[in-house]
Amino acid sequence: MSAVEIRDLHKRFGSVNAVNGLSFDVAPGRVTGFLGPNGAGKSTTLRALLGLIRPTAGTATFGGRRYEDLDRPSTRVGAVLEDASFHPGRSARNHLRVLAVTGEHPMGRVEEVLAAVGLTDAADRRVKGYSMGMRQRLAIAAALLGDPEVLILDEPTNGLDPPGISWMRRMLREQAANGRAVLVSSHLLAEVAQSVDDVVIIAGGEMRGRGTLTEVLGGDEGAVTEVRAQDPERLVSALEQHGHQLERDGDKLLVLGTDPADVGAIALEAEVALSLLAPRTRSLETAFFALTGGEA
Amino acid sequence: MSPLLRGELLKLRTTRTFVTLVGVTVLLSLVVVGLTAILADHFGKTDVRQLFTFDFSSLFILLLGVTAMAGEWRHRTITSSVLAAPARARLLAAKLVSYAVAGTLLSLIVTVALMALGTVILSARGETTLGATDLADILWRNLVAAALLGAFGVCVGGIVRNQIVAIVGLLVFAFALEPALLSLVPDVGRFGPTVGAPSGISGVNAGGDNSADLLAPGIAVLVLCGWVMLGFGVTAWMLRRRDLV
Repeated sequence: MSAVEIRDLHKRFGSVNAVNGLSFDVAPGRVTGFLGPNGAGKSTTLRALLGLIRPTAGTATFGGRRYEDLDRPSTRVGAVLEDASFHPGRSARNHLRVLAVTGEHPMGRVEEVLAAVGLTDAADRRVKGYSMGMRQRLAIAAALLGDPEVLILDEPTNGLDPPGISWMRRMLREQAANGRAVLVSSHLLAEVAQSVDDVVIIAGGEMRGRGTLTEVLGGDEGAVTEVRAQDPERLVSALEQHGHQLERDGDKLLVLGTDPADVGAIALEAEVALSLLAPRTRSLETAFFALTGGEA
Repeated sequence: MSPLLRGELLKLRTTRTFVTLVGVTVLLSLVVVGLTAILADHFGKTDVRQLFTFDFSSLFILLLGVTAMAGEWRHRTITSSVLAAPARARLLAAKLVSYAVAGTLLSLIVTVALMALGTVILSARGETTLGATDLADILWRNLVAAALLGAFGVCVGGIVRNQIVAIVGLLVFAFALEPALLSLVPDVGRFGPTVGAPSGISGVNAGGDNSADLLAPGIAVLVLCGWVMLGFGVTAWMLRRRDLV
């Protein structure tokens, strides 16, 4: 079962259709990037998923249950929202203590998550003195407090410096490696490309593309392998014998509908030396603009 | 005690606002009561009763309740509060109860302190003092009024949401409109939430000259409970309907 299921989600604000018939899943153990230009409906979708706004129609559930119907929701779902806010006069440790008490988590978890995000030394300072990066780390600590199965992050790299972005990227991968389902929205495409397994692209509140990163980057052509051989004619012959379709691109061959492992095996069998063997992909930025109609 | 309520009480204790408020309220109440006990002459029993109901805890907890709930919107912490407790009416109820508890504690500290100070000064001056029964009677009235006004403040903050507008509006209402109403139209004013009903609970007419205009204490408690329930209903309805974008 998917960790997150969004089905035919609609949200209308007055005359504006913020989300229009969105459906997708988020799988455990994977990082799913949720991409779209500003105003695409990403935050609205995530907030509907978290029960903060009421959908006009459709459902957004965790294992079939709405957020507000979950028992002790912080043990199932951790969320970092774009405008994560804290009482400026409260320290980070006390902020987490309040959440631990409310969520019925052991107080020991407070120290664990403070250590996990590197805030132990600053934990007794009032939050109003925190930098943006420290606030993001505190928001993540709060999300991790209940050791949840699902993490929802809305533009988590906003305002972070390069070390902070790098830390965030590692953190996302670690969470997925630990079996958590991670759904992260971002407009930083290069950042997402390095962190995610799956991609959901929306624009104008509607789905524009989804799948694994490779599938989305591959566009409509499916898998394409670029290969350059010392003896191209011999390789062409071998590939055609295996029924592959080929195109030429300068001194390279494009093998349609297959991946580098298959092409490499055929080249080895034909005893052809290769100087290039790689999947051909669009950049995520190219795919993004193609799918969103350049609305970014 | 529910985790939600414990969380709300911990919120109260982990900012400087509440500690500062307790200090200011105790100090202000002691100064006013102390000076009055020192400077005024010929205290009768009624005067002493009035003196000991003159604690600022009801006003301050009312304002603190407003500040706390409106502050959830001002600091945009309402989102994380609702994420932690998605049942919004329960969240509101926990906050309401926590400020009722805080009001009770604040009033207990202030009332006991001013009773001790006032009694010491009046005894030293050979003026009338109150026995334990009268002191207990004043104490329960002060505690109940502070508890209900703390809860009512949360409701006002939840309805108005803008912290400044809520506080200024409430001060104007409590210090100008409602006293005027109680004085001019006591049959209506005595049912008011910030002066009329609390005056009925304390038995001291804060907005008029005649304590005969006030509700009986038991009725006044019920009326103020009604205001709190009405405020809770309206705030819960608004909170449930509102999209947190």
